[in-house]
Parts: sequence; C-alpha cells; structure tokens
Amino acid sequence: MASTSPGSDAASASRAPDQPASGGAAPRPAIYFDGATNRRHIVALHFGPALELSEDGVAVASWAYDDLRAVDGGPGTLRLKCISALPLARLEVPDPAAQAEISARARFLQVERGGSAQTGRVVGWSLAAVTSIVLVVIFGVPFVAERLTPLVPLSFERRLGGMADNQVRAIFGGRTCANADGVAAFAKLVETLRQAGHVDMPLQTEVLASSVPNAFALPGGRIYLLNGLLQKADSADEIAGVIAHEVGHVSHRDQTRLMLQRGGTSFLIGLLFGDVTGSSAAIFVTRSLFDASYTREAEHEADAFAIETMHTLGRSPAPMGELLFRVTGAQGNHTIGILASHPLTEERRELMRQEDRPTTGPEILSDAEWRALKAVCHSTKAK
Amino acid sequence: MDATTLPPLPSGRSARVIFTGTRRDFFRLVRRGALLELITAGLYRFWLATDIRRALWSGTSVDGDAPEYTGTAKELLIGFLFALAILVPIYVAYFLIGIEAERAKAFASVPLVLFFYAFGQFAIFRARRYRATRTVWRGVRFWMSGSGWAYSWRACLWTLLTLLTLGLALPWRESALERYKMRHLYYGSLEGRFDGSGWGLFKRGWWLWLLSLPIITVPFTYPAYKAVLWRWWLSGIRFGEVRFDSDLRTGAMMGLYWAVIGWVLLVLIIDGIVVSSVGFAVLLLSNGEVGAGALVELLREYPYVVLGANLVNYLVVALCAGIVVRVYLVRGVWERVVTSAVAHDLDRADDVRAEGRPVSALGEGLADGLDIAGF
Repeated sequence: MASTSPGSDAASASRAPDQPASGGAAPRPAIYFDGATNRRHIVALHFGPALELSEDGVAVASWAYDDLRAVDGGPGTLRLKCISALPLARLEVPDPAAQAEISARARFLQVERGGSAQTGRVVGWSLAAVTSIVLVVIFGVPFVAERLTPLVPLSFERRLGGMADNQVRAIFGGRTCANADGVAAFAKLVETLRQAGHVDMPLQTEVLASSVPNAFALPGGRIYLLNGLLQKADSADEIAGVIAHEVGHVSHRDQTRLMLQRGGTSFLIGLLFGDVTGSSAAIFVTRSLFDASYTREAEHEADAFAIETMHTLGRSPAPMGELLFRVTGAQGNHTIGILASHPLTEERRELMRQEDRPTTGPEILSDAEWRALKAVCHSTKAK
Repeated sequence: MDATTLPPLPSGRSARVIFTGTRRDFFRLVRRGALLELITAGLYRFWLATDIRRALWSGTSVDGDAPEYTGTAKELLIGFLFALAILVPIYVAYFLIGIEAERAKAFASVPLVLFFYAFGQFAIFRARRYRATRTVWRGVRFWMSGSGWAYSWRACLWTLLTLLTLGLALPWRESALERYKMRHLYYGSLEGRFDGSGWGLFKRGWWLWLLSLPIITVPFTYPAYKAVLWRWWLSGIRFGEVRFDSDLRTGAMMGLYWAVIGWVLLVLIIDGIVVSSVGFAVLLLSNGEVGAGALVELLREYPYVVLGANLVNYLVVALCAGIVVRVYLVRGVWERVVTSAVAHDLDRADDVRAEGRPVSALGEGLADGLDIAGF
C-alpha cells in the first residue's frame, strides 16, 4: 500500500508498530488526507494533549480528541474526521493498538453514529406518522368527502362515469340489450321513478346482457340493470323498487362521495410508500366506482329513498324486498352492487314488508310493457 | 476506442478495484432493513438506502483506499419532502387535466405522460449529482456541474429517436447521455469525461438486439446486454488521464438475474401455499363450508380483517422480493462490476485539489416520488 510513500522517515516509522505497541509515546503510522488535496500523507501519530500528526518529523495537524469522529472506512481501518478541521480531512488508522488508544481518549468518537437509539427514534416517528395518516383516513377523509361532494360539478361526475363505463362493459360482457319495445318500457319505468323521486339529473340507463343478478349505478346518473336480475323478477314493481334504490344512490351522489373517499385514502397511503404519481391510486379509484360497497348509512338512505318513491307512486316497496331475498337466499349478501351491503337481506325484506301499503296508484308498467321489458335482451330477430 | 487495446503508459500505476464486503453482512443489513420498512410503513427506506450505500462504498477499495459515502438518511427524507411539495400539486393538476383531455380526445393526455417522463429524467440527473457529491475518496469529493433540465430534454429527444428506430438508436442514446453526465462530473479538480461511442456499443451489442426481437428471449438477452453495457461504460470512463477497463463476464450477470428470478418464484410459490392453507383453515373453522360462496361471505362479514391480511401478505412478499433484489441486483451487480474494473494511470490522480460542494437530495426525492430507478 505504501507504493506512493515519499518520506523515508515515515516509511521506517511505519514498520516499527508491526511489533506490538511498546511505549505509549512511540509514533504510529497512519495515512492522512488534509482535505485540500488528495495526496496521501504517511504520518506518525503522537498521543499528546491532542492527537499530533507528523510527516517526516514535521507536525502537519493537531486534532483535539473531543473533536474526533469515526466515519466509514475500509475493513479493519479506523477512519477519523475532525470537526474542527477541513470537513473532508481524514485520518486512516490501520493499527489496532493505535485504534484502541484513540477509542480510549476520544470521548465523542461515535456520537454521529446513530445506533439503536436512532433506529428507535425513526421507528417512533414513523409510527406516529402512520397513526396520523390512519386517523385522517378514518375520520378526516369521510368528512372532507362529505363536504366536497356537493362541490363536484355534475359535468365532471359524468366524465368519471364515462371512464368507468368501459370497465363495466369489459367485466359484464358489455352487450347492451336493444330490443326496442323493452328499451321503451325501461325508459318509461326509469322516467316515472325519476319524476316521483324529484331527481333533476337526467339519467342514462341500460340493460346489459349479463346473467349476473345485479343492478348498480355509476357517477353522473348512469344506472345499469343486468339481465340476470331482470329474469329473476316476477313483476314490474320488483324491478321498480331496485331501480328506485339505484336512483337514490344517484340522487345522494353516493358514488362521487365514495370515489372521493377512496381516492383520498389511496392517495394518502400512496404518500407513505412514496407512490406520489398515484398510478396504483388511480386504478383503485376507477375500480371502486362500480365495485362499490357503500356504507351502511348510504344503503339505508337509498332504501328509504326507494320506499318513499314507491309510496309516492302509490305502489308497495315490499316486492323489492322479496326479489332481493329470492336472489340472495337466506344468508344474503353474496354479490356486489344492489345486493352488496351491510344490512342483511332479511332485515331489508322485513323493513320493506313493514312499509307495505295497499296499492293506490296505477301500474308503473302495463302487462304488455312488462313482458317487453323481460324480453329486452332477446335478440331483435325474435320479433 | 477500445481502452483494453491501448498499451499502458510506462509511468502508469494500475490497480484492480477490490470489494471486501461479505454477502452475509449485507443480507443481515437488508433483512433488518426490510423488517423495519414493514414496521414503519416504508419510511425506513431512506435509512436503509443510506446504509446500503455506506456498506457498498466502504466495502470497495480503489488503489488501497475505500471511498466514503457521506450522505445521510435525513437528507434523503428532506429531499423526499421537497419532492412531495413539488409533485403533489402537479399530480392533482395532472389528474384533473387528464380527465378533461381524455374526454376531449382520446390520447390527448399523452403529452402529460411525456411531462412526467421529462421530470423523471431530470430526477435521474439530479440523483446522480447528489450521490456524486456524497462520495469522498482520499479526502476529496466528487461533484457535478451541468443542468438537470438540459439533460432532461436531451434524454427525451434521444428516447423518442430510440422508439422511432425500434431500439436501434439505443447505443447512441446511451453514449450521448453518458457523455453529458460524465463531462459534468469531477473528482475535485480532475475533470471526468466519457470516451465510449455509440458505434462501439452498437458493435458489442447488435446481436443482442436481434435476439431480443422474440420477446421471450429477453430474460437471457437483458443480463447479457447489462454485461455489455457495464464493460463498455467502465472502459469509456476517464478522469483526467486515469482510465478503466473491465473484464466483466456475461455469465456473471446472467447468474445474478437468474438467481433473482429463481428466488422470487420460490417466494411466490411458498406464499401461494401459505395463503391457500391459511384460507382453507379459516373457512373450515368458520362454517365448515368451503367454496367461492363461503369466501365471499367471509369477505362481506370481516372486510377489514380480510383486507388487512391481504395487505400484510402483499407487503411481506414485496419485502422478500426486495431483499432478493437488493442482495443480487444491488450488491451482487456492484460487487461483480467494481471487481471487474482495473484502473490505469492512477498516478495521474495523485495530487488532485479539492473542489465542489454538496448539493441537496431533491433529485433523489423526485426519483423516489416518481418511482424511478436510474443512475
């Protein structure tokens, strides 16, 4: 290693300490970089009142023991800096005896090395940050979402609905049922409910040719009825109740609230993991648009809206409860959308039964219209 | 341009770079780091990254002296916070503009992706600058001049050209960008530069481009390409008169990448077995009925428990994969690349004046926030 050694004195000095340290005052070899150039100075160490470095017998530096700090060096080497010298001045001490001598005298050698106390602090502060974010997610985000929802412009909501529409089609097979009479009957049903529920927003509704028994809403007034649910229904009132429930979600803007909530949550969690661009957060948001499990309250309110609407029309909400029960069975809650909610189907059916009133209003759909609706997914050639 | 063919100057002192860090110590370091990352929800990553660099730098020895990494985790954390302050408003604006633009016309939001790409290139340049200024050898630090944005638009144009030529322009992209980065890199008063040429890289790697055309061969051609790239890179580096060459074996890189593939597959298989047996046991204990319906039932009844279990499982798998990647692709590549290098004419770097100042870790923070790895 001493191929560059210019000083013969230092070189001879460097050989001496290969023998075990004999006298405390004996000079010990080390390599010194003064921080101004990268020249290697082979120096002898002298442990006086301060650590004295001398090259070829000439003093080059004097480092106070209290100013010495250990920094990363190669294996077996103690590398030192001195906080009162140039910031990058370094002393490399390969000799174990000299290392021991320095460790004994320099009281603050390791203060800049964090050790386990520092790790503990990092863990503590991180846990505090995580707790804070979790609290914000649980309490802050729903509150903010609640306040922001009325501020989201309807046009923006419609755009979001449009984006999610493609994903819905991809998942449920995508074919829109287009049998003209059925579509007309469905439009009439939806329009009746919209007016009875006093919803100003225009609704876009479609029946999709999917065997999944379900119905759901997207932001911006998009409501989807899947043929699977339609085929399980025995009367127009059953379907009307279900659609009224979805109109309730639309009218309460539940999807937008949910989206804000999920978006905010994944954004905050993304912050923790350093995923600021939110690539995963964006996926989460769009997925949550239709993979929606609303809160218990949102479901109760949508049910209340459906009941209210049916009463306004002079029809009973009870058939809706029967339909839900028929689809889910006694345990309920197997699927998403209209059926996926915390209130058990039994409870909901019980509620609908309590709200059962004798029908006073006209039929929402005539028998012929109801038959046309049931057949909406039959291909047009059947006509 | 091939540095290996030049006869060494008579006065030149040559030395092979040595690496003394052991894999066992490094494994302990990253295993502990992964556990702490799990406990701290990822915030420990700044401390782990710093510890990893300290271990790699101080385990290396060039001409008998180990470089020293003087960066701190706190700097990285502050850089990340600065980056957040810049990225969060941009991200929110990006999200809103993206929705509007996508509505107006499909693909209208592509320019925004380009904007993020340009930002990422800026981050890569600035991150290298941070690392350079935190690297000290023989009491003198490395430092960088140049501008992150000047680098960024060069990188964007070269990437565009590379895409247009189906990757054929890649060697020229690499050499142009490396020239920019290296000619702005200094070791104290000693100016760096890069003598590798695009043509030189093309000659070494064109057959890999051909072999990569059936995409399925990429797991083989990519490590081989990395080996070619590292050899070419090392042999092009100059600091004043000091030059390097490298005898990195292609097989050495191949071994590392395939070790990663193997270990990650093993982790996934073990995880699959554990998850399915735990799921099965839970279903048996809960209602004795096993099937998709019961699974959905469970999800409905305890959504947060199931979600939490999934999250923890995901994190554990990701951290295991992280350990594997760090042991093989960070330490392994470092070890094999640096020990393949021989520095020539080192006596020309014997009396270098200290220059340059440390810079902030903003670039590191941006790279972290944008999820970019680059060097």
